[in-house]
Amino acid sequence: MENRRAAILSTAVMFGFLLVGIRLADLMLLDHDVLAAKARNQQQVMVDVAVNRGLILDRRGRALAMNVDAYSVYGRPFRVKNPGEVSAALSDATGRSYDKVLASMRSNRNFIWVKRKMETGSAERLKGLGLEGVGFIPESKRTYPKGRLASHLIGFVGVDNQPLEGVELRYNEDLRGEIKKVLVSKDAGGRTLSEGFDVQSRGNGLVLTIDEGLQYISEQALDRVIERWEAVSAIAIMMDPYNGEILAMASRPTYDLNDPGGYKTSSRRNRAITDPYEPGSTFKVVTAAAALEEAVVTPATEFDVSDGFIDVGSMRVYDSRRQDRILFTEVIKTSSNVGTIQVGSLIDNRTFHEYISKFGFGSRTGVDLPGEAPGIVRDYKRWSKTSHAAISIGYEVAVTPLQILRAYAAVANGGWLVTPHVVKEIVASDGTVLKQFNPGLGEHIISTHTANTLKDILISVTQEGGTAREAAVSGNLVAGKTGTTRLIDPDTGEYSHERYVSSFVGFVPADNPRFALVVVVFEPKKQYYGGRVAAPVFSDIASQALAYMNVPRDDFRNENVLLVRNDEF
Amino acid sequence: MIGVRTYDRWMLLATLTLVFLGVLMVYSSTSVITPTLAKKHVSEFHYLKKHLFTVLISFAAMWVAFVFDKETLKRLPVPVLVVSMLLLMLVFVPGLGVEAGGARRWLRLWPSTFQPSELVKLAMVMYLAWFLSSEGFKNAVAGSRARRMAGEKGVDPQFMYFLMPVSVMLVFQMIFLLQPDFGAAISLGALTVGILFISGVKIRYMFSLLVLGLPAVVMLLMKPYRLQRVVTFLDPWQHRHDSGFQLVQSFIAFGSGGLTGRGLGKSRQKLDFLPEVHTDFIYSMVGEELGLIVAIGILMLFSLIFVRGLMVSGRWKEGSFEYYMAYGLSLMIAMQALVNVAVVTGLLPTKGLPLPFISYGGSSMLVNMTAVGLLLNYSRSAQRNESYIAQKEDKFTDILERKKAKRAVYGRKK
Repeated sequence: MENRRAAILSTAVMFGFLLVGIRLADLMLLDHDVLAAKARNQQQVMVDVAVNRGLILDRRGRALAMNVDAYSVYGRPFRVKNPGEVSAALSDATGRSYDKVLASMRSNRNFIWVKRKMETGSAERLKGLGLEGVGFIPESKRTYPKGRLASHLIGFVGVDNQPLEGVELRYNEDLRGEIKKVLVSKDAGGRTLSEGFDVQSRGNGLVLTIDEGLQYISEQALDRVIERWEAVSAIAIMMDPYNGEILAMASRPTYDLNDPGGYKTSSRRNRAITDPYEPGSTFKVVTAAAALEEAVVTPATEFDVSDGFIDVGSMRVYDSRRQDRILFTEVIKTSSNVGTIQVGSLIDNRTFHEYISKFGFGSRTGVDLPGEAPGIVRDYKRWSKTSHAAISIGYEVAVTPLQILRAYAAVANGGWLVTPHVVKEIVASDGTVLKQFNPGLGEHIISTHTANTLKDILISVTQEGGTAREAAVSGNLVAGKTGTTRLIDPDTGEYSHERYVSSFVGFVPADNPRFALVVVVFEPKKQYYGGRVAAPVFSDIASQALAYMNVPRDDFRNENVLLVRNDEF
Repeated sequence: MIGVRTYDRWMLLATLTLVFLGVLMVYSSTSVITPTLAKKHVSEFHYLKKHLFTVLISFAAMWVAFVFDKETLKRLPVPVLVVSMLLLMLVFVPGLGVEAGGARRWLRLWPSTFQPSELVKLAMVMYLAWFLSSEGFKNAVAGSRARRMAGEKGVDPQFMYFLMPVSVMLVFQMIFLLQPDFGAAISLGALTVGILFISGVKIRYMFSLLVLGLPAVVMLLMKPYRLQRVVTFLDPWQHRHDSGFQLVQSFIAFGSGGLTGRGLGKSRQKLDFLPEVHTDFIYSMVGEELGLIVAIGILMLFSLIFVRGLMVSGRWKEGSFEYYMAYGLSLMIAMQALVNVAVVTGLLPTKGLPLPFISYGGSSMLVNMTAVGLLLNYSRSAQRNESYIAQKEDKFTDILERKKAKRAVYGRKK
């Protein structure tokens, strides 16, 4: 009796073990694939590989943006036994307030950043303290060795290397390189288990068209003009007129790339391409080009400007200087509004609009920078009765400094509309060139003959009797044009008598231009004429740039050069 | 031949293997400092050290049990029962008892805690062995048989004897429910009923226990979380984000282990996916790291201990103290192991119970190792068990005679 019952119970227990064994085989063999997939699903996560961003170099290979090793300091609050002591040490080392560090150390979070991308030296010192619950992750930190230089153009990246401005933003995909992902194990709380990966993504470098020296010269000149005339802002762009390579692009106010948060957003704006303004007299070259190209005038055509004013509808436009009958060339040279409006009136609206569009106004230049504005050029069908006259002297249109520069580059290079660009080459991390940017001359918008005629007129502007004697450079001929426009007063909605835009745009040496340069100064005080404010800045930058570029002076005769050489032998 | 008997080497070997595996797995499950562990400010060796300490103490206890005088043992059951009852009560004394997770189940004991409910199981086995082997009980069983033959009416004396151990069990269960420790109450009940079953108590008395089980069912329904456990157990995937999380994570651990496992130490599920991985769910991690082969191997080792334990009990006279002790201890170990593996594989509703010899946890280790020590003690009996030998010989001749008879009837096969 007893024996049988014991046997029944024992068998039941053994059967239980057998049942569990079968269940195990079911789970571990039959359901293996499904459950293993579920396991992978919850245990692994795709993580972006850390990126070593590509360098940004100037055209001569000087580094404008690079990476340095840094440490990010983090805390694991639950491992900190003495939050007060640890927080005090961290506060000393990082400069963060003690109270804030203490509050985060006392929080019940698993992980907190104490300081991102701390410089290696102080991080090593902090490491030496051996604080419990404090860890360090090596990271690569983006730095800009030149600080404020070309800040608007280069742009910067955020703490996680997310691009925010400039070529950093525009060429992010190249700089960042291929996005590599790795599969990383994680725990139930989603915390990944690896600190750093063997694989590292190396981005490609950029070689800019910018020349650090020319950029420096331009920025120094802008600083001086801002100081001298107490101007609100100023812009200078230098471009190779033959291929559209931007040699320098400077804006004031500016900011430090290593501390972008310390400046106003308005200081970070790249005004050279984002801020359209009414170009005024500098736009007269478009009117002149259209008239010459359409053969309605010749350089010798005479215009009567003896009234000193002209009525356009209800509006009366004055000249700044009273003259009698002048030639077409003198209309531009003396920047006669009355003469230019007469010239413009020889062309119909549609043709005029066509030329404006050909010169690239009203559409983006296609420069490889983020945030470019197209400017404003209304369609001729919507022009008022006064529009034609206003536009012919550079009002009722809004252009960016880069657009006006490109128009003058067309005059300089014989009539071709170039595409401005700031990146010359993309190079791999080992130095091989991956891509070269050479957009070439572009569309031929005016005949070379017209361009040469305009060039001669523009040269006369900086000569005796022209409006911009102060733009002249010793040793080389400067071709260019001044501009002075009133800003619209936001209070009255009418043109202000106190707020002006003073500009000069031109190229040098006139016969064989090495660069085109535009200088725009917003709201200078005391003096506002383009010939008085912007032209000297042009001269300042141009003379230094020519020397920097080793451009020979035109007034040295070839014989002299040969004589010197003979002496040497 | 059988006279000079040495201890059961197979049982010792199986136990040692399990303990060794346990040390490995406890280290594997606690050497990664997950945030949960980090919150406790422990080092990677913290649990291993404590576990090794427990193992050491347990081996000492096993040795004491192994060499203990068997005659003295017979006098111990009632004192042990009283002591375990007292210890169990001490849990409720503030300062001595440790509360965790809303339950008071542990006694503060340097350097750790002790769970008296584990000791209660051992005490209950000893008490039942003592009670069922007593003359009074045997006479009552014999008496009730005689009464039935004689057709007498009135209260069956066997029933009164049946009530005795049942009421002891009920007292313990009441205390367990006060802690509360529902699982311990169920385990103790199952163990007691199992041993009573083999003692020859009338089946209908056993069934009458079901009436006592009714309040338990009511309690189950009254506490929503217990009911939830049962519901979850039926379809864990439905509740995989809340109440079924543990079970689903256990399935995933087993499933990703496959035939050969991910490799020792390579469990991913121990990274906070599996709860209580070093205690209740250690078997899941074994499955994940070492695969089906080792998981089945562990089942076989437990089966081996159980079968060898049954063989030990078989060497003793039926109805003797030693017979019940050996059977009861084997059943105690095997049932605890079976419940644990059945829970983690989803065959029984979730209940926190350590896996003997393998899980981290001192009380369980100590009690189970003591049980093995006692089993080994009984296995090496120098005392001849005449009836056992005679029985064996009888069986042998019996089989021979049956075969002869069969041959006579059916003729020689082939």
